[in-house]
Amino acid sequence: MSLLGPIGLSMWMWFAAGAAALVVSAYIIKMRRRRFEVPFAQLWQRVLQQKDANSLWKQLKRLISLLLILGILGVILFAALDPTLGAVDRKARSVVILVDASASMKAMDGDEGGTKSRMDIAKVKAKSLVDSMGGGDLAMVMKVDGQATPMSRFTNDGPMLDKIIDDKVTASDTPADIVRALGAAADALRDRPNPLIVIISDGAYPDDQLKRVDWGNASTAARDLAAVDLSKFDVRFMPVGRRDDNVGIIAFNVRRYIANKAAYEVFIEIENFGKKPAHRLLTLYNGQTAVDSKQIDLLPGQHIRQIYPKIPGGEDNQLRASLRPPRGSDSEGSTDAFPLDDTAYALLPARKKQRVLMVTENNLFLEGALLVYDNIDPLKVTPAEFAAKPALADDMDVVIFDDYTPETLPAAPTSLLFFHPTGSHSPFAIRGEVSAPKITEIDEGHPVMRWVSMSDVYMDKSEVFAPDPKKGESTLAFSVTDPIVVAKRDGRRKILAFGFSLPSANRDAATDLPMRVAFPMMLVNTLDWFAGDQADLLTTYATGQRERVPLDGVVGATEAEVKAPDGTITKTPVLDGLATFYGTRVGYYDLTAKAPDGKPLASISLAANLASPSESRIAPSLELTLGGRKLIAPEAFSITHSQKLWIYLLLFATGLIVLEWITYHRRITV
Amino acid sequence: MAVPTPVTKLARAANPAQDRSGLFDEKFLKTLEHLHMVSRKVFSGNLRAERRTRKVGSGIEFADHRTYSRGDDFRYIDWNLYGRLDKLLLRLFEEEEDLHIYILIDVSDSMSIGSPLPKLHYAMQVGAALTYVGLANLDRVSIIPFGDQLTDRLPLSRGKNRIFRVFDFLQKCPIGGKTSLADCMKDFVTQNKRRGLAVVISDFYDPAGFEQGINTLRYYKFEPFVLQVYDLKEASPKLHGDLALVDCETGETKEVTVSKSLLEAYEREHEKYCKELEAYCTKYALPFFRTHTSIPFDELVLKIFRSGGFLR
Repeated sequence: MSLLGPIGLSMWMWFAAGAAALVVSAYIIKMRRRRFEVPFAQLWQRVLQQKDANSLWKQLKRLISLLLILGILGVILFAALDPTLGAVDRKARSVVILVDASASMKAMDGDEGGTKSRMDIAKVKAKSLVDSMGGGDLAMVMKVDGQATPMSRFTNDGPMLDKIIDDKVTASDTPADIVRALGAAADALRDRPNPLIVIISDGAYPDDQLKRVDWGNASTAARDLAAVDLSKFDVRFMPVGRRDDNVGIIAFNVRRYIANKAAYEVFIEIENFGKKPAHRLLTLYNGQTAVDSKQIDLLPGQHIRQIYPKIPGGEDNQLRASLRPPRGSDSEGSTDAFPLDDTAYALLPARKKQRVLMVTENNLFLEGALLVYDNIDPLKVTPAEFAAKPALADDMDVVIFDDYTPETLPAAPTSLLFFHPTGSHSPFAIRGEVSAPKITEIDEGHPVMRWVSMSDVYMDKSEVFAPDPKKGESTLAFSVTDPIVVAKRDGRRKILAFGFSLPSANRDAATDLPMRVAFPMMLVNTLDWFAGDQADLLTTYATGQRERVPLDGVVGATEAEVKAPDGTITKTPVLDGLATFYGTRVGYYDLTAKAPDGKPLASISLAANLASPSESRIAPSLELTLGGRKLIAPEAFSITHSQKLWIYLLLFATGLIVLEWITYHRRITV
Repeated sequence: MAVPTPVTKLARAANPAQDRSGLFDEKFLKTLEHLHMVSRKVFSGNLRAERRTRKVGSGIEFADHRTYSRGDDFRYIDWNLYGRLDKLLLRLFEEEEDLHIYILIDVSDSMSIGSPLPKLHYAMQVGAALTYVGLANLDRVSIIPFGDQLTDRLPLSRGKNRIFRVFDFLQKCPIGGKTSLADCMKDFVTQNKRRGLAVVISDFYDPAGFEQGINTLRYYKFEPFVLQVYDLKEASPKLHGDLALVDCETGETKEVTVSKSLLEAYEREHEKYCKELEAYCTKYALPFFRTHTSIPFDELVLKIFRSGGFLR
């Protein structure tokens, strides 16, 4: 037995002596009695004389009462010393408790009945660990999901740690990054005495993570620089989890067809991680409408890929895939303990028809190229008609000026496409003209230039622009050093200008660009760019991974609001029009960038899925091997053997108090 | 300096002297008349004293039988009846005499204790009843309150019309003080040369003992008639805990921790004290009655009549 109390033994003895003296004094001092008048005290005197014959026993009874009180005092003071039974490591430890809070910890197989999750059991184990700490031990609780989050400082305050474990440690929908967590724990424990790391987990980690641990055995040359150095740390493992049967959606994506953006195709990948055949009903929803439903049967370990081609677009752009037990099936093989990966979410990029106004003198090349694009509603006027009535551009999404430069640009947010703008009304400054330019360089990263090749394109002449980067103007194509295709954002609208003319009736040799595949491609890219629609924009992400998401048209905003599926709103930084997205829950997210005055600048909806085979593979590991070393089972964890005695001592003292009370009031010890 | 805690009185009236105003009401007077009628059933004769007491052996006219009790003279046992009934019965004879009756009432502090009726009130009611019967029988009756001394007295009177003076005297006489039976009886015999019946109504809680006082009456040829009054709650007190018991007369304090066994011991001691008094009276053939205040006073008086000794 050890005494782990915070009070020193010498101080305790002084305190005990003082308390004992106080108790004895309380017995010695004269009792203040209630006075009672009697008619003939002599009778009482006679009785008392007889009783005095038993005075020795009377004094002894008082002595018993005194000894009883001293006993109670002694038991309470002894409890204050925190006596502890069992093998207690007297060397104070510094413990980091890594509680796995990854998605697989949501599996409902904590107990036999399936009423508790793995996380519930992990919390119980973490708290038992905290409760068994010795007097000098310090512990820190760290939550491990896609990130490693310390939930407390190093403390020996057991109740506080218990409360943190109960209230703040919750499982997220992300995979666990155990390497990052071990690194954080190692950093926290550096230079602390007797460091100890305890991992409470189901052990569902990717193999590559488990290998990235260095125990100090490898030679310097063979050492993995990305590995976590745990050579100075004692690492233990406490497993949780029971079942291994699970069928989950491990991939779910959707994309529009480039040619027909009203239709889309869906890709789903499903895997049976269990050891028995499984049956599920796979249903695909567009909004609340079921688009397709079919039963799938999977052998153990089998995974299937399912593609749904040419699904016509509905009104809702939210897609959802769901795995459910087939109708009329029993529970055997049709349900599992991990429902999180039974539902997946995806989003279709928003799509609408653009109203396009062409200001041109019957340019068949331009009109013909636009005809291949279904998602526009074109309108044509001559430059003279437009000059007479500029209000024609008011309701347009896009205005194309072909060899014509209006005196006044249509108002925003109408986007503008110029072919051969001239004069002082040009949206871009013109610094000269070049004859027979050759396009020598294009900005392949710009959406307009995607999949476009402009080598060997002939032009008889072209304006040379003078783009100002400070105004957001950029060059998309150079002729050596002369910018001849430029673009810019002007608030919420975009403007693109080609320095050269398209062939027309009076200048049929102006350029051969319309004869090339690049021309319609470039036009479609331009219209998509104007509409903010990017064919390669991903709107479906995996949780637990940091992504940069483009927020169309955002200039000047430094942060965006993220509305999570559960309604919570957080802030995320925006840099160069790209917002950082990190999903911790599966479902739909809304990202909104706002101006300093609170006006929304741009927004985008995203979907997040678990999409992690390593998390869906919920089979628990009863042992964990890190960097080739098997972690010691928790039975060897010495401090868990200790048994606190103070509560029993207090109960015993309470019993003695009750005994003293009874004997006093029954006049036994009086 | 310790501050004494307030004294809780054992069922003691707040101020018995002031409570005596309603002691002798009309109902009480009717009860007295009824008692007198009862007493007349045992009266016959035409002497100066109209009341007779049953006295064994001193007369010639047979009056009644009564059950033999310890101390009675064997000469008056009716052996014929013993032969027939196998019971010891005493033959009673009536004798007329002119009697002086002295009603001595203890008015010390200890008599003020009792609930719901203080012993003092009970003693005064019994004393008044006996006085009325005595006055109605044309005996000479005097009432003498006593404590540690004789403070006042109602002179010898005769005739039942004097009863209202008796009531007035009992309502106004001073009360309180310690009990000193010996001193008071000594003063009494000194002040009253004419022998007679001395009815002593008291709780006999005298620290010096009761013997000397009663002996004084005997030695001076008075006929002591002992009537002990006690309260049930003082015989069986309901106490518990740590107490300082204060004697209401002497102020003497006893610190006790009252337990069940102690209470039982006290009850035994109280009973023993009363038995000592009874044994003393029996030893000297003195009429003795012990009563508690829960028994109606007229019932006690009738009991006294039936037992003889007071009416003769």
